[in-house]
Amino acid sequence: MHVLTEHSRIDHALARIDARVKILSALVILAMILSYRGFAFPGLVTLICLILTFGMGVRLRVLLLRYSEPLFIAAVIIAVKLLFAGKDPMFSAQFMGIAINGYRDGFLEGLQIANRIVSAVSLIALLGFSTPFAEFIAGLSWFRVPKGFVEILMFAYRYIFVLFDDAQVIYQAQKNRLGYSTLRRGLSSFGTLAGSLTIKAFDHSQSTTVAMMQRGYDGTMPMLKHKPFRLHEVAMTMVLLICLGVLWKI
Amino acid sequence: MRYVFMALLLVSCHLSLVSDAHAMHISEGILPFNWAVAWFLVVLPFMAFGLYQLKKLSKDDLSFKPLVGLMAAVVFIISCMPIPVPTAGTCSHPCGTGISGILLGPAISTLVGAVALLIQALFLSHGGLSTWGANILSMGVVGSFAGYITFRTMRALKANLLIAGFMAGLFADWATYASTAAELAAGIRGDSDFLPLFGKILLAFIPTQLPLGILEGAMTAGMVVLLYKKRPDLLVKMRVLKPEEVAI
Repeated sequence: MHVLTEHSRIDHALARIDARVKILSALVILAMILSYRGFAFPGLVTLICLILTFGMGVRLRVLLLRYSEPLFIAAVIIAVKLLFAGKDPMFSAQFMGIAINGYRDGFLEGLQIANRIVSAVSLIALLGFSTPFAEFIAGLSWFRVPKGFVEILMFAYRYIFVLFDDAQVIYQAQKNRLGYSTLRRGLSSFGTLAGSLTIKAFDHSQSTTVAMMQRGYDGTMPMLKHKPFRLHEVAMTMVLLICLGVLWKI
Repeated sequence: MRYVFMALLLVSCHLSLVSDAHAMHISEGILPFNWAVAWFLVVLPFMAFGLYQLKKLSKDDLSFKPLVGLMAAVVFIISCMPIPVPTAGTCSHPCGTGISGILLGPAISTLVGAVALLIQALFLSHGGLSTWGANILSMGVVGSFAGYITFRTMRALKANLLIAGFMAGLFADWATYASTAAELAAGIRGDSDFLPLFGKILLAFIPTQLPLGILEGAMTAGMVVLLYKKRPDLLVKMRVLKPEEVAI
């Protein structure tokens, strides 16, 4: 869960930029990455994002943890494309009487997808590191994301940490009583843990509702008020997007 | 035979690469732009129906929205917790939408899945924003509906809570992974045919996901039985059981 805690330096210039500007820019650049055929543009975005991420003081270990799943999936996709897709033979080998063929065009296609994955993950990781979640949620409400969805997102985010602490206490107690010593007991303990969390979630929801009603809750939550857009931020973002757009077109 | 061998080769590669296999969300950037948009458009009606239900139910009960939010937090935590997969010798993560489908109904559970996936995409890089639609479809929509329909069918067939919970968790998990494989095959196939690639992707993940489904079934059954023993009133409130089925 320590991975969940926000690693951004809120004093960094990137963190001070309006969340709406960052979300919109990230979505536009993401669309460019996904629709680009080739290596150069996603590679450039990866490089810029990594420089900015390290510039924000994010530690390498945190970044590697973030990349572990996407890199694994990228590796599987390269292997699938190499062995199963394509027409231009790259290598051929025999293993235990079975012919294994690799295809050059499939391999290149796999590399292209892997490059896209790394680039897109770098971009969204940078967005996550530089945007406090409360601001992200407020940004979503400005983009007219339905209020009901934004509200449950707020509740979920607020209570993840509370429930995670509860889960850790239960897990430790189960572990001390050899609750995970065998697979059967482990499964039973895990079911109990998940069930207990559901009960706690229900109890928390009741007490939270009572507390909020005492403070005037009528079924809707107030959102963060946005400051007006800052002209220099919008102008700089436009220049960045135009430059990237030109590079994307080339 | 060749495909089986290749699949095993891929699985051994995957196991040598990571010691902790993550829940198979489609990663950020895998899907081309058109597929990313298409899957998002497919899930929109389900999300809209979920929001409609949320609005309707929270009118009568002010604690409903906080409850849905907290269930999303539970699904998030469950899907972050490693459980051992004996055949693969690694840990993997359950989906958790089967249980939320049973407790909250499939439409609201779709929202729960969407919230959990958004937080995972932003904080853990599991899944992504561009693959959010595809992941909501497989985990939120397919997982929730599969869990809910299986549970209701099993209960209609007079199965007890343990069996019904187990089957719901099992099919929710397997259905999630089958639909993820289909989305992945459609997204990365290029000029290749869809069905052969779908079969290969499905085959490559069977050694991990087959036992994981059984483990998720056991976990879901454990949760439902615990709720029945400790807080049967919750199961009645959430319309999982009728009041006459519970001796409160």
